[in-house]
Amino acid sequence: MNTYSHYLDIFKVTEQQLQSLVGTALSRGGDFADLYFEHTTFFNLILRDGNVSSGGFHTDYGVGIRVLKGEKTGYAYSENLEMSEMIKAAEAASAIAQAGGSSLSYGRVSARTTPDLYPMQQNWRDMQASAFLPFLLDLEKKITSKDSRIIKVMARLSDSVSDVLMYNSFGELTCETRPMGSLSVTVVFQQDGKTENRSISRSFRMGAELISPALIEEIATEAVKGIDERFEAIRPKGGQMSVVMGAGPSGVLLHEAMGHAFEADFNRKGQSIFSEKMGTRVCPKGVNVVDDGTLTNNRGACGYDDEGVPGQKTYMVTDGILTSYLHDRISAAWYGVAPTGNGRRENFRYNPIPRMRATYMESGNAEPEGIIASVSKGIYVEELSNGQVKIGEGDFTFFVKSGYLIENGRLTAPIKDINIIGNGPQALADIVAVGNDLKIDNGTWTCGKEQSVAVSCGMPTILVSSLTVGGE
Amino acid sequence: MINEHEINLAKHCVRFAQENGADGARVVLSKSRTDSCNMLNGSLDKVSHCADRSIYLYLFVDGRYGTFSTNRLVQDELEDFILKGIDMVRMLEQDLTRTLQDPERTEKNARTGLELGLYDESIEHSDSSKRTARAQEMCIFGTTAEGCTILSEECEYGETSDDTFITDSQGFEGRHTESVFSCFSEMTIQDSKGDRYSGYWWESSSSDSGIDIRSCSRKALERAVRQIGPKPRRSGKYRMVVDTSVASRLIAPVINALNGSALQQKMSFLDGTLGKKVFPEGMTLMDLPRTYGRNGSRMFDSEGVATQDAPIIENGVVRKYFINTWMANKMGMEPTIEDASRPCLMPFMKGKELPCGENEVSLEDILQYCGNGILVTGFNGGNSNPATGDFSFGIEGFAFSRGKITHPVREMLITGNFVELWNSFIAAGTDMRRCTRWQIPTIAFEGVAFSG
Repeated sequence: MNTYSHYLDIFKVTEQQLQSLVGTALSRGGDFADLYFEHTTFFNLILRDGNVSSGGFHTDYGVGIRVLKGEKTGYAYSENLEMSEMIKAAEAASAIAQAGGSSLSYGRVSARTTPDLYPMQQNWRDMQASAFLPFLLDLEKKITSKDSRIIKVMARLSDSVSDVLMYNSFGELTCETRPMGSLSVTVVFQQDGKTENRSISRSFRMGAELISPALIEEIATEAVKGIDERFEAIRPKGGQMSVVMGAGPSGVLLHEAMGHAFEADFNRKGQSIFSEKMGTRVCPKGVNVVDDGTLTNNRGACGYDDEGVPGQKTYMVTDGILTSYLHDRISAAWYGVAPTGNGRRENFRYNPIPRMRATYMESGNAEPEGIIASVSKGIYVEELSNGQVKIGEGDFTFFVKSGYLIENGRLTAPIKDINIIGNGPQALADIVAVGNDLKIDNGTWTCGKEQSVAVSCGMPTILVSSLTVGGE
Repeated sequence: MINEHEINLAKHCVRFAQENGADGARVVLSKSRTDSCNMLNGSLDKVSHCADRSIYLYLFVDGRYGTFSTNRLVQDELEDFILKGIDMVRMLEQDLTRTLQDPERTEKNARTGLELGLYDESIEHSDSSKRTARAQEMCIFGTTAEGCTILSEECEYGETSDDTFITDSQGFEGRHTESVFSCFSEMTIQDSKGDRYSGYWWESSSSDSGIDIRSCSRKALERAVRQIGPKPRRSGKYRMVVDTSVASRLIAPVINALNGSALQQKMSFLDGTLGKKVFPEGMTLMDLPRTYGRNGSRMFDSEGVATQDAPIIENGVVRKYFINTWMANKMGMEPTIEDASRPCLMPFMKGKELPCGENEVSLEDILQYCGNGILVTGFNGGNSNPATGDFSFGIEGFAFSRGKITHPVREMLITGNFVELWNSFIAAGTDMRRCTRWQIPTIAFEGVAFSG
């Protein structure tokens, strides 16, 4: 573990200067101020047309300064860490306090330590591009050897390492180094003049040890899985029907139908359809939904959030009852509760807002096969991509890349490329079975609420009795 | 704005890269500044000040290529950064198709960045009190609306200046400067039954006087209120009218499919269609990047290649693929431009003369022309398969009958294929919003599959 002085050296600041900047930020009467220093290095390598012939690295460096007065936010940042430039940013942020208005009582965070959730055995920054070329070339070779219909393979390795130093007006100093490594591949197949594609990715908060022969084999195998079905796939007749969500990526249903609507900023502002539902039943009995920042190496792991609050496991729904929103410091102070460690941001250019981490439903008791067998007519969702939600109405959608029709309790024709739409509260109430097979999906999920933030999701197999399925 | 010192620094990076082993180099220097003021329910909620700068380096070394960027604009650090970049490029495999663009094709007259009239100098004299006053002008929280209660009003007023300077080792220099004044409002309301609805509206302009701040929240409120009381609509095939505010969602996948990278990777449903009539006679899509003072106009692309006004699709025939130098070398084709700048869909009514003279073809005209169907005013999620053109989107909007809107619809989906959809294209108006880069008016299609 690095010491505080290591991080102070990176940003060439002293504790006295941090105190001085916070003093400037609060000079016009703010209730709370914090500083967020960040130095990130990015690296990428791309394999295309059989060659690893493109790549690069990128550096980002700066400090964001925030002042809170009641619920109001003043925010400014500087890419130049000369003291004079940081003072200008602190003064710009401090202006929010001049607007007057009531104050909020911002409290210290009681727990100040957290386990190392993203240990790096090999620091990405110590690696040379040449170390990864053989892995990408091997990945392409393994994939193309598995199916003669493959006409294109494109793979991308990307990593980043962020050094973060946070300091606030309580004198809390928090530092950590956050790695992220991702490997993704897109494979294009051609058969009888028809073209299909599959995209697979894996992403973890860990070091360069991620890139291993085992991972290459896993992705290569996954990349060609189910392609026969994809060429045969049909689009179902659209309409309302039962939907079985397969374990893993179906967690995007929770992210869209529930997670965003539980983010406390939407509720504080009265915008969410769940604004007045705290303590009420939102799911059938026995359902537990979690937003978890404590999964080691997970893409959504947060040792500390971007306000210096230690990562936590937050039960949003306990036994079907809405028990917690996802809070940053503002909403926590407004509701008079402790922050849940969900104050996150894309980088130092953005102020933190409530964001999800790893969102999943805990396993239930049902056997997945039994859930499918209980459906006489519906669809089984296997792979998903993007989702979206309208917070006020609660209407959410997600895109199904592949799945199957369910007819008389059996999986029959493969299906693909359809959208599904539903209403959050209704869909949650319509969950009629929860499988015993929770699986966390480790793809490159990124949430785009105002800012892009890495997240992950998971789900056991579940049955929703009615959703609207797109079709022809 | 980029200053002389920074321009000289960018030029120094090109020289330094060449002196240290690069065969060629391109440097893109960008600076931007955004100041914004947000209001929540009539009170100040957030003020922010953002100032960004970055240098992107595109290095061509020994037949190899890499891209690098940093926001540390200090000469010593940049030199070290370039040396490390050259070292890394040498570790990559050769790709002889990576070359700088033909210098004859570059823009020669983008010297000041102001040539297209997209920069309003008054932005330099703006201050926080003016921005706060503008944001306050937007607020209507506390007013009443028939049949509902306003739960929440969020307004944002923002001012942005963007300045980009590009130079390369072949002597190209180009500059593009823009200002953006913008306003955005989102309203959340509750009807008498307790159901919630939301609506948003936004405007932007390169000119300070080009946006209507005072009507922004009112329009957002109207868009929320008109959704009250949705009724279910049976699944089936309907005529579909798509409002100009969201119509670009249906043309973007077509333009993406004409991109050289997608074509080369066989991830395009328009592969092999150049010069062929793929779409109906009435469909003409122009790229008009040289229009003075209009959002989306630009004189050169990211390689420095000069833009020109030209058809993308003409009377249904695909006239242009977007091919940059790399893709041209890979595919053995003539390079064009890297992507569309300001696509504009021309007006059309199948089987009917377009109104002449001063008459605009409005949304109302198109609803009247179509008679019965569903008007789409928003998309909710969805996606498409770039290789096949198959799509499925969530929608919201209104049923209409005899040319008049009857009731809102919600929780519906449209599903189809883009080539088939555009072959059922029956109308395009002239009501595109001035503030958008893509000039796509209200459009209409025959027989679209809706699920509900």
